Amino acid sequence: MVKTQHGIRYAVHLITSHFGNLVAKVCECLLRKGPLPLHTIVRYTELSQMQVKNSLLVLIQHNCVQAYRIDETGGSQSAPKQSTQYLALFDNILHRVRFSKFLAIISQEFDKLCVDIVEGLLQHGRLTLKQIVERANSSHKEGNSIGVDAVQENLHKLVMAHYVEHCPASEPFLASPTEEDAPARKRGAKSAKIVIESEAIEQRVLAAAVPMEARRFSLVMDSELNDDGEKDQNKSPDKHVGDKRKLVASEPDIDSEAAENQVVLWRANFEEFIRRLRHKDCIENVRARLDDGAAIVLSAMLEASKTEEKKVKTASSVPLSVNSIYEEVIKSEKGRNMTFDHVRAALVQLSSPPPFVTVADESYSIDFKHIIEAAQSEEVESIVLKRYGRDAYRIFRLLSKASRLLETDKISDTIFVEKKETTKILYKLWQDDYLLMEKLVVGTATFLLWKVNKLVLWEHVLDELFHAALNLSLRVAYELEQQKEIVNLPIDRREGPMKDKYEKLKKMRILMESSQMKLDDAIMLFHDF
Amino acid sequence: MSRLQGQKRKQTDSNSPAQSLTEQERILYNVIRSKQDMGIWTRDMKRETNLPDNVVNKSLKVLQAKNLIKEVVNIQNKGRKHYMATEFEPSKEITGGAWYVEGNLDTEFIQILKEQCTKQIYKLKVATLEGVTDSIKRSGVLNVELTKQQIDEILKALVLDNEIIELKSNGMGEFASIPVGKICYKCISKGNIGGEPRTGAMASIPCGVCPRIRQCTPDGIISPQTCVYYSKWLDF
Repeated sequence: MVKTQHGIRYAVHLITSHFGNLVAKVCECLLRKGPLPLHTIVRYTELSQMQVKNSLLVLIQHNCVQAYRIDETGGSQSAPKQSTQYLALFDNILHRVRFSKFLAIISQEFDKLCVDIVEGLLQHGRLTLKQIVERANSSHKEGNSIGVDAVQENLHKLVMAHYVEHCPASEPFLASPTEEDAPARKRGAKSAKIVIESEAIEQRVLAAAVPMEARRFSLVMDSELNDDGEKDQNKSPDKHVGDKRKLVASEPDIDSEAAENQVVLWRANFEEFIRRLRHKDCIENVRARLDDGAAIVLSAMLEASKTEEKKVKTASSVPLSVNSIYEEVIKSEKGRNMTFDHVRAALVQLSSPPPFVTVADESYSIDFKHIIEAAQSEEVESIVLKRYGRDAYRIFRLLSKASRLLETDKISDTIFVEKKETTKILYKLWQDDYLLMEKLVVGTATFLLWKVNKLVLWEHVLDELFHAALNLSLRVAYELEQQKEIVNLPIDRREGPMKDKYEKLKKMRILMESSQMKLDDAIMLFHDF
Repeated sequence: MSRLQGQKRKQTDSNSPAQSLTEQERILYNVIRSKQDMGIWTRDMKRETNLPDNVVNKSLKVLQAKNLIKEVVNIQNKGRKHYMATEFEPSKEITGGAWYVEGNLDTEFIQILKEQCTKQIYKLKVATLEGVTDSIKRSGVLNVELTKQQIDEILKALVLDNEIIELKSNGMGEFASIPVGKICYKCISKGNIGGEPRTGAMASIPCGVCPRIRQCTPDGIISPQTCVYYSKWLDF
């Protein structure tokens, strides 16, 4: 949820490259100013109302903006007026670079048709079943068309696995917070209060918009495709869907006659994809620190407990017994090679200090918080090592572990570096916001005390990650622009020096794109996991 | 390491050099001697004896020539000239302790010690502080006596290097021989001593190591499009 300065710039860059300057301008306005009603956006962006409206429609279609209604405050009129505000969804904008990762997950678990369905949903933002079928048929090369049944069956599979969901309410009503609900922060910096308030609003809007659990992953399909037109008991008379359809009527993709029937709109459930990526990251971390056996056992524990996971950023998994873990382990091919004792030994290994798994009464649960924090620390320490050197790396690790103020002398003694050199490094780290410094004056002597503040630093590192991601993006675009003729060279012309240049460009592209993906993993580690 | 085996030099014929001192030299010598193993700075000497500068300087030369006093480096203030009577060994506050030689950190010694400790821990798989100390003593690699405190300092430095990890024993598995709750150490790198920690995503790209990232903007003088670090990195 944290939007740093460069985070906003990066998000705006993504919207610009996907949807153009106009839409990006509206999006930037919302990201910087927070949720706004239409007329305010028009005023700030100095665009026409039609332009802003269309931009909002595009952003809503692609799940980058959520609309909601609130009571208009002020005025002594008898009936409170309601106004519609628009909230930019920073997280969903960032997900747009991860579509290939999401599709990779689907291709591992399902067949090609499922991958196509999800690809369509990601490309178009949201689709009805009818549109999904049409799209599947239009891209199909052979003569046989893909039947509605096949599509429906595959869609079912995806919904059951929670990778696809019903779209949220288009304009949920947000009641003003009551006295009890308001965060109890009477004192505190004004800026901190604003941040907390904006995060609170975003969470409340999303909570208000998301359909009830039963409906969100309900398998009932559209009434227009049902021959007997049965009504669904779970579905509430969703006037909002109808309202939204009128608003969206200008979108060429959406069939306006569908507005009459209550058609279900489907979209990819980002939450589930992020959860899966988080799990994968934990497994890989454990594999790197311990071994394959431990990774297989952890993977099994995740599989067994994932349905119980409430939110993505959960700190620990539900407790499992050795038997239930073993049952899950032998379900996979690799796991079948493991004996019960083997699994037991891996659990002991996982729960031995520093523990990735906690044990209580013969039940084991994964300590996500620990695994994620260890991975985050490793990333930051790596930056400090490469940017400032080995002594700085030691200093940073010392201060991170100490989590309190330490004096220069104490630091220099512990790391076995001369005081003068230590002071130089400390100053550099402090100037670049990696450390906090405090001066203590005792008589005539001045002491310098240093500290790592993880919360502050993690946000700073995240901002640097966004900055780097933006830089990578801009540079790759620049390189391709510079070498446009080579990029567009037809195959038969790629000979001699041209061929070398082409190969060089290809290498550059591969390096940049893999770096972008790796960096995005780091962004998820600090932002989403 | 021979410096650690140095012994106090005793003055065998005690009085003969001291007898041929002038009155001023004697005053100065007594003041220096009275400071025992802490020694005294030249300016403080001048203040305490009230002797004029040139007299002090000359007397110091004489006393040094007669081997009655010696110059030592004071780690707290390396620039100052510090003297003490030859029969004393400089105290820890002056020398900086076991890790200093002639006023500078003995980095070579420290590095050797680090490697030895890592080797012992790797051999023992899991080791406590006592375990490492004993192991090093028994191996006889070093010809100096090291206290537990000193080994502890080395181990803490190794933890910061990410060569070993500090843990509390839970009494199970590989910690079975160690009482629960006791601090012990394990090697991190799987076998290769002195391996580099994994490079993170950010550190693998120019921006991650760039000292100018704060000044970098898309349209600025320092920008990703004009960045020389990128040009170097992309120069295949």
